Amino acid sequence: MTRQPLWLSILAHGGAGLVLAFLVLPIVAVLPASVNKASFIFLPPRAYSTRWYGEFFLDSEWRSALSTSLQVALIATVVALVLGTVSAIGLRRIRGRWHSLLTGLFLAPMIVPVIVTAVAVYRSALDVGLAGTVLGLGLSHAMLALPFVVINVGIALRTVDDNWLRAAAGLGAGPWTVFRTVTLPNITPGLVGGAVFSFITSFDEVVVAVFMAGYANKTLPVKIWESIRLEYTPVVAVAAVLMILLAMLLFGGAQALGRGQSILKKSEQPQA
Amino acid sequence: MARYRVETACLLAPAVLFLLLLFVVPLARLFSLAFTDEGGVFATFGVLAESEVYRRVMLNTFVVALAVTLITVLLAWPVAYALSRLKGFWFALALYGVLFPFWISVLVRTFSWMILLERNGPINRLLQGLGVTDQPLALLFNDTGVMIGMVHVLLPYAIMPLYAAMARVDRRLLLASDGLGAGLLDTFARVYFPLVLPGLLGGATFVFLLSLGFFITPALLGGANAITLSMLIASFVTDRLAWSLAAAGSLVLLLVVLALLAVAARLLPLDKGMFAR
Repeated sequence: MTRQPLWLSILAHGGAGLVLAFLVLPIVAVLPASVNKASFIFLPPRAYSTRWYGEFFLDSEWRSALSTSLQVALIATVVALVLGTVSAIGLRRIRGRWHSLLTGLFLAPMIVPVIVTAVAVYRSALDVGLAGTVLGLGLSHAMLALPFVVINVGIALRTVDDNWLRAAAGLGAGPWTVFRTVTLPNITPGLVGGAVFSFITSFDEVVVAVFMAGYANKTLPVKIWESIRLEYTPVVAVAAVLMILLAMLLFGGAQALGRGQSILKKSEQPQA
Repeated sequence: MARYRVETACLLAPAVLFLLLLFVVPLARLFSLAFTDEGGVFATFGVLAESEVYRRVMLNTFVVALAVTLITVLLAWPVAYALSRLKGFWFALALYGVLFPFWISVLVRTFSWMILLERNGPINRLLQGLGVTDQPLALLFNDTGVMIGMVHVLLPYAIMPLYAAMARVDRRLLLASDGLGAGLLDTFARVYFPLVLPGLLGGATFVFLLSLGFFITPALLGGANAITLSMLIASFVTDRLAWSLAAAGSLVLLLVVLALLAVAARLLPLDKGMFAR
């Protein structure tokens, strides 16, 4: 439509292709590294083997790191999802100065550099005996994940018309029934998105975890972090591949779910 | 009405209390350590300011963040432009190319770069094979490695707001400029560029602020040769147990970030550049 000379088009799209390759390809490098037969990382591998996957799942330290990570992420997701949803609903009911003040507070964990948060949380956790515990890790990750839930659910809440809530209340529904029958079905995509973001935020988190984990409760990223500096065998690449797979599974699943839901809504529309 | 207010307060109270206990109070307690050093109220800041080593670390942090921001914006431009012109399958492919790295942990991405940039790694062997260099280049454990890794992690943060700004440009304005006899360069400089500038600056601010506090990537790719402020803060805690210095460094980092954010919020229509869709 707009006049765009051919050379500009080639330059722009060629440049974009190169930058996109720079973005995507390096991440894939851990895949060949993880099926390397040798006991050191070398790309491309001279011989292939899945032995390091076996090593990963036989090693009790890696296994316990994976299980700690899953427990921590579960605690973080549940806490962040409940607190974030409730406060997103609360935020919608207020206006003006309080609204901006509280929004600022809820989003603050995203703005403060994570190293500062990590040192601060670690110091206080030491004093109350939460350092090195799964609960301490889960709660501090819930704090980091909270902004994502508030944002996701907040966006989803825009689709809920205040008049529907008033109508439901006028028809005699209590606050809980109004939430369950009107609000909840409409914000489900936001809840799913918030939950996925929370889980991944916790599962991928390194900085707070490096300080908080202690000796007994290392999460998977902490174990990777330590291994990179010590042994540097392909087993680290295996752990990295597992983290990529989990993230793709969760985000892909959430997207498929979101798409399924919008299809569902469209097919429902003619009846309405 | 009173009941409505009580209900609202009950909805907001749990998260506020949670953040106070786990975030606000720990931060306040940490920062108070910076002022309660035996040497005097501001002694810790004096130590940070007077040491040649610490001054170099802070300068290095700024220089790396600035360089990373410039490179990121330059690389983000063609991708954002292509995204704003592409349709259908190619658009989806390019968009997933930008979003996919977003999904993957920073630690994993940094580890990938360690494998690739090694002295004996594939990139060095490729460069030697092509005859670009005789000796393997030192790409790891210096500022070069740090910048490559950080640009990779931060690129999507610059692409998205820039793309949002480019997608909003009304094509008819460009046609009008064209029809009025302006050349390509004139249309770009006087119509297109000013329209996408808020998105560009919004993304650049975001990238710069994130760069200042980066920890994982510089710690793994830079190591002892390229220390940043966040690495210094961590080493105060883990290696030296110097809590008051860690507190002072943290406060400096946070204040710089907040000050830049306040300036950016005043100068830029950030709400349009960063979060608009």
